[in-house]
Amino acid sequence: MTSLRWIWLIARKDLRAEFRSGGRIAAMLAFSVLACFLFSFSLDRTLVSGREIASGLLWLTVLFASISGAGRTFDSEEEDGAFRHLLLSPVSRHSIFLGKAAANLVAVALVAVFTLFALTLFFAIASPGPVVLHAAILLPGTIGLAAAGTFFGLISRQSNLGDSLLPALTFPVLVPLVFFGATASSRVFLDRPWAEISGSARLLWAFAIGFVAVGSLLFRYLTEE
Amino acid sequence: MTLAARNLVCSYGPTRALDGVDLEVAGDSILAVFGPNGAGKTTLLKALSGERKPDAGRVVADGKAVTGSDPAWRGRVGLVSHRTGLYMKLTVMENLLFFASLHAVAGPADAASAALAAVGGRELAGTRAEALSRGQRQRIALARALLHDPDILFLDEPFSGLDPSGADALATMLGARRSPERIIVLVTHDLRRGLGLADRVVLLRRGRKVLDAARAECEPEALLELFTGDARGRA
Repeated sequence: MTSLRWIWLIARKDLRAEFRSGGRIAAMLAFSVLACFLFSFSLDRTLVSGREIASGLLWLTVLFASISGAGRTFDSEEEDGAFRHLLLSPVSRHSIFLGKAAANLVAVALVAVFTLFALTLFFAIASPGPVVLHAAILLPGTIGLAAAGTFFGLISRQSNLGDSLLPALTFPVLVPLVFFGATASSRVFLDRPWAEISGSARLLWAFAIGFVAVGSLLFRYLTEE
Repeated sequence: MTLAARNLVCSYGPTRALDGVDLEVAGDSILAVFGPNGAGKTTLLKALSGERKPDAGRVVADGKAVTGSDPAWRGRVGLVSHRTGLYMKLTVMENLLFFASLHAVAGPADAASAALAAVGGRELAGTRAEALSRGQRQRIALARALLHDPDILFLDEPFSGLDPSGADALATMLGARRSPERIIVLVTHDLRRGLGLADRVVLLRRGRKVLDAARAECEPEALLELFTGDARGRA
């Protein structure tokens, strides 16, 4: 119960600071719009339909947006040394990780929903598939992206290379997640039955749970001096 | 209340920041740790508070070994450093409520209001931390550190960046916190301020303790000589 309360307190604090500064989520959403806009002009839709390519574009955009946002996960903690005080409080390390990942999840999920909407608009997709099925795929996918982004966001901050290290760390780890996410979303866009989607969805949940579990376990080692 | 360091060793790569430091401080006292830059003051404070795991040696509180991995120990510790540790986008009250809730302080709103009043910052409650002056932020940082009434208060260069009146106010507040159940450990290279507050003085040089004496036994001039002599030696 205490852990859940700590997670909630940290996530709420991060989101409150995030929505007041507005910088990170606004930048992620702006990237999403720009990517959808450019894709819509660069692809010849007489050769390929929007429904067939939307899932790849959706996951590519969400992946890049989440990585660009992940680099700033710890900005508020480092602004005036607040992280030192957070670590010195009785809060468990895994609660800190989960609280920050939860706040990240809200940002990534917002971007995913926004991108889905933008793609259907820019590619004039009249029937993008059931919203519930999109949610069933995007939820584990965004949980995985948020957990990995939080974990690698701290690693990149602690390295001399800073945020430039983030793509090199995250891309290899996130390739399977994005692959299964794009596969599942593609089938949703094409109105395939759940039986064809459920296998990828289960794998997405496995990756999401794995990223959350590994991040929670290893976070304490990243924060030890 | 007692706090002791037993043969603490901390290294950063090949550099020994602390090299077998022993010290002991009892309740109702303020320990001032002096030393030039790179002497190991902040590392000592981090090792004592549990922020840094020592490579060897141990920290003992009330006869029991303590480590930073123990949440109960972290709950007994308060910290004020030269970086205030406030969340800039949050208001002063939101900052205090956040930390009060993390420490499971009973009645967090009342505790935050009381802590704010104690540092003379009641009118700042609704102001975002980013809008405060350096001195105001430091006062709020002290309020945040005192919210959970810690047994041991660590201060890492707390006077850094404060104007004389702000530093005087901070010194007065620290002096008022003396009690047999509480210890204050102050790390600074502001000799005048530190000596004005301290009951006990430790001087570090290149990770080693070169002086450990009661304040009454310390001549400021001799301490200054030890302090600056090292700086000249390194130059």
